[in-house]
Amino acid sequence: MLRSFIEFFSFSDPNVVYVVVGTLLIGASSSIVGCFTVLRKRSLVGDAIAHAVLPGVCLAFLLHGEKDPLILLLGAFISGWISIIVIDLIVENTRIKTDAALGIVLSVFFGLGILLLTHIQKTGNASQSGLDSFLFGKAASIVGADLYTFGAVAVLLMVAVFAFFREFTLISFDPNYAQSIGMPVKWYQLVLSSLTVLAVTVGIQAVGVVLMAALLITPAVAARFWTHRLWLMIVLAALIGAIANVSGAFISYAAPRMPTGPWIIVVLTFLAMFSMFFAPQRGFLSKWRKARSSKARIFEENVLKLLYQLEEKDGNKKVDRSIQEMLKRRDWKHSEVKAALKRLDRRALVTGQSENWRLSQEGRMEGQRIVRIHRLWELYLTTVMKVAPDHVHETAEVMEHIINPPLEKKLMRLLNKPERDPHDSPIPYAEDDI
Amino acid sequence: MDFWFNDFWIILCGSLVAMSCAILGCFLILRKMAMVGDAISHSVLPGIVVAFFLSGSLSSWTVMLGATSLGLLTTFIIEMLNKRGGVQADAAIGLTFTFLFAVGVILIAANSGNLHIDQDCVLHGEIAYIPLDIGTTIAGIEIPRQAIILSVLFFVISTLVYLGYRGLFLTTFDPEYADAIGVKTTTWHYLLMAAVSLATVVSFESVGAILVVAFLIVPAATAYLLTDHFPSMLLLSCVVGILSSFTGYYLAVYLDGSIAGAISTMMGVFFSLAFLFAPKHGYLAKRLST
Amino acid sequence: MFAIKKCAWLCSCLLVLCLFACQGEQKADKTETAGAKTEKKPLIVTTTSMIGDMLRNIVKDKAEVISLMGPGVDPHYFKASQGDLKRIREADMVFYNGIFLEGKMEAILEKLAKSKPVYAVTEELGKEQLIQMTEDGLEKQYDPHVWLDTKLWASCIEVVANRLIELDPSWKAEIGSNAAALYKTYMGLHKEVKTEINSIPEASRILVTSHDAFNYFSRSYGIDVAALQGVSTVTEFGLKDVTNLVDLIVSKNVKAVFVESSVDPKHLNAVVEGCKKRDHPVAVRGPLLSDALGEDGSSEGTYEGMIRFNAKTISEGLK
Repeated sequence: MLRSFIEFFSFSDPNVVYVVVGTLLIGASSSIVGCFTVLRKRSLVGDAIAHAVLPGVCLAFLLHGEKDPLILLLGAFISGWISIIVIDLIVENTRIKTDAALGIVLSVFFGLGILLLTHIQKTGNASQSGLDSFLFGKAASIVGADLYTFGAVAVLLMVAVFAFFREFTLISFDPNYAQSIGMPVKWYQLVLSSLTVLAVTVGIQAVGVVLMAALLITPAVAARFWTHRLWLMIVLAALIGAIANVSGAFISYAAPRMPTGPWIIVVLTFLAMFSMFFAPQRGFLSKWRKARSSKARIFEENVLKLLYQLEEKDGNKKVDRSIQEMLKRRDWKHSEVKAALKRLDRRALVTGQSENWRLSQEGRMEGQRIVRIHRLWELYLTTVMKVAPDHVHETAEVMEHIINPPLEKKLMRLLNKPERDPHDSPIPYAEDDI
Repeated sequence: MDFWFNDFWIILCGSLVAMSCAILGCFLILRKMAMVGDAISHSVLPGIVVAFFLSGSLSSWTVMLGATSLGLLTTFIIEMLNKRGGVQADAAIGLTFTFLFAVGVILIAANSGNLHIDQDCVLHGEIAYIPLDIGTTIAGIEIPRQAIILSVLFFVISTLVYLGYRGLFLTTFDPEYADAIGVKTTTWHYLLMAAVSLATVVSFESVGAILVVAFLIVPAATAYLLTDHFPSMLLLSCVVGILSSFTGYYLAVYLDGSIAGAISTMMGVFFSLAFLFAPKHGYLAKRLST
Repeated sequence: MFAIKKCAWLCSCLLVLCLFACQGEQKADKTETAGAKTEKKPLIVTTTSMIGDMLRNIVKDKAEVISLMGPGVDPHYFKASQGDLKRIREADMVFYNGIFLEGKMEAILEKLAKSKPVYAVTEELGKEQLIQMTEDGLEKQYDPHVWLDTKLWASCIEVVANRLIELDPSWKAEIGSNAAALYKTYMGLHKEVKTEINSIPEASRILVTSHDAFNYFSRSYGIDVAALQGVSTVTEFGLKDVTNLVDLIVSKNVKAVFVESSVDPKHLNAVVEGCKKRDHPVAVRGPLLSDALGEDGSSEGTYEGMIRFNAKTISEGLK
């Protein structure tokens, strides 16, 4: 394994170089284009175009009589280009959504292609073999000459995206606004679509349909978990694509019968899954942590509220309350309460140890605040919203953790600094409020 | 007499597949899951390979079982990615099928690489062969196996849709309301997806992938342009499917070409006609009214 | 509402059925008159062009022979047309390759065999004569490219001849002599190929092709084979497979690689480029005819032509 690693990355094997550089270039082009197509909710456009090029290839062959790669590529490009025009036509002029439009174009164009293909089969032209697989390359057979084409396409794409970044972004996110400020939206859409067709047509020749579809979708999806800033997303997508391409090529090099394209897809998907779980802010783990800490905070506030209510009941601010006492009044777990009290202790909102605790002055302020909001909200619901008094408690239990100080002040003013809540409990105010 | 039975059986089977898929397709395109059929056609590969490895045989049943399980797995993964993972629906579809297909190819390649078990070889049927594959003979008339299977499929699908109409309808058009009145959106989603998996895999075996993907989307989309009334849409999509099978078949005869390709092309023709001439939603109607 | 829908479906189905009946009647009339014209000569339909060529040489002008797959068609991915179906139905006898070459079509043909004379030309070949592709434990899959071993292919003549005689016993004498003559021709051809291949120095006897079609050829004529792609075109080869092949070519000093008519030459290009960069340029020869005959009317359009062309190309390339 180590030997393979060294051999691979020494790039002494020309085939390794071809495949790595080739897939990197295609990967870069696809990731860039893919970010736009994914954002425009047409992720599967790669799949659609790849199928839609077949009639173009067949017609080119029929007209030319021979399997000339350039002619066939031209036929493919034209067919793919028409297909994207049709997709846009359908989406813009009917209520049919993008995914259905993609599907219609994919199946109808491909069906037409198959019809033409069988017709060609009957003509007896011996050079027609493999016509349908002509466009479905395998990543491991990229050669030096291809690199020039891929490089040219990649450069063209990067230049175009760089030059028209603002325009492409606008037409992807808010075409109406773009239209309203006088941007020739249709023209830019056409440019973007043409670039997409170019990338796909060149790409499937090298790496096949499925890998191409994956390259257009997965890096963009993965990158989106890390950022919503488009330029950063594009860079990240290209990076993720690059890592996957090199890793896939390496795996394919390290052992025989490990097909390059599929391994690239597998690595890409793992990277996407990794992003989905571990990306900060938008990843699963991060969201789970936030939810957990939010839950913890709410629980802490409820503990403070309970301690305050216990003080309110017997008027005694100087005595410790035992956890047992608290558990009598709430359906909580002992361990949860203890943990919350320890956290509150760290925040200096309670004092005490082990089983016995009391509020500190700050803790009392905080507990009072929660109780106040709870009761204000109940009053709000009963007096302004005319909700029955026995229906307000549940909502207030939630709202007490949500309403922030400015909103609290507004509520107080609206209700005219009331003294009692619907259940006739006093509404406590802090000294500086009075 | 021999020949009109050729035409008849092919057109009948095409129509049966068309109707089963068109009905499901109406729900799919309204739920923005149109490409699920295409996805399943790719993602069944690992299922077939694993089924082959486990059973050591390539019988129809093994292949179908493997394929259907993967169909279900595919829709499950897509749903997970979409609802829990926050990945947009179309990207979820793409991610899932490319990954599963890649796994399938790797499984084949790693195991001697010489196995001739890709789905084009062992699963996908060809509609042209249907009259040759006789299932049984009743009253002297030879009935192709696929005609029986597809009739059963159509019966099953239409019964499912009939019985589950309210749930499917509500969860398609107004999922919030459905949730509010206790109609479980998730359950209905999976029921629909199970029906789609079953229909697609069985249909793949009869008529191949091209037709199935086309039938799932194009007739429903055509009908969508022609009516606002959902039951009519269901009916119209079936009619479009049947018409396409009929005209497509004779087009294939005329050109001596692939029947599946011709039927797909005719579906495209009908769609284009609806696109241009539909009374309310058509291109010309819109142009004329503005 | 649903009752109406069901009725509507039923009605449209019935309507369509009536339409078929009318159409069908017309068609039946047409074909019956057409049938009357060609009723004289029986129709034999074959799948591959190789089988078609064999048939033509045995029946000569006693029957009409049509091959469904023309030159350049890859039999693994043959997509049947409506006309093909008609031809199979009209045929008096059908011959196919078997050993899963025709994929799913094979199951159909086997079913058809219950009601019609449909035969695999390889049906008499014993399993021990075939080359196995899968490991033990899995359902046995065999390499179908038997026609590239001319001796093995010649042994199929007897099967074909016997079946033909069943079709029309009055043919016995002529078919018998045609078959014997063809057998002699093929055996002669077999010796020719053997000589041709033997003329290649032993160290250079390595045949590198696009896909794994030449295993029988290899076994019969004593030449090693190496290929990039397995039998199925959906499967992919990996980078290591390319570099392994390059290593093989360089280490064994192979002079040429051979593309095939029915497979995209692009894949072998990577190998060629790899060799070039390692200062071991190889020539690209061919295209060999592996899965189908050459152009109709050309010298490679017959089985003999195909085999001779292959043998010559290989020996010239490697010498």
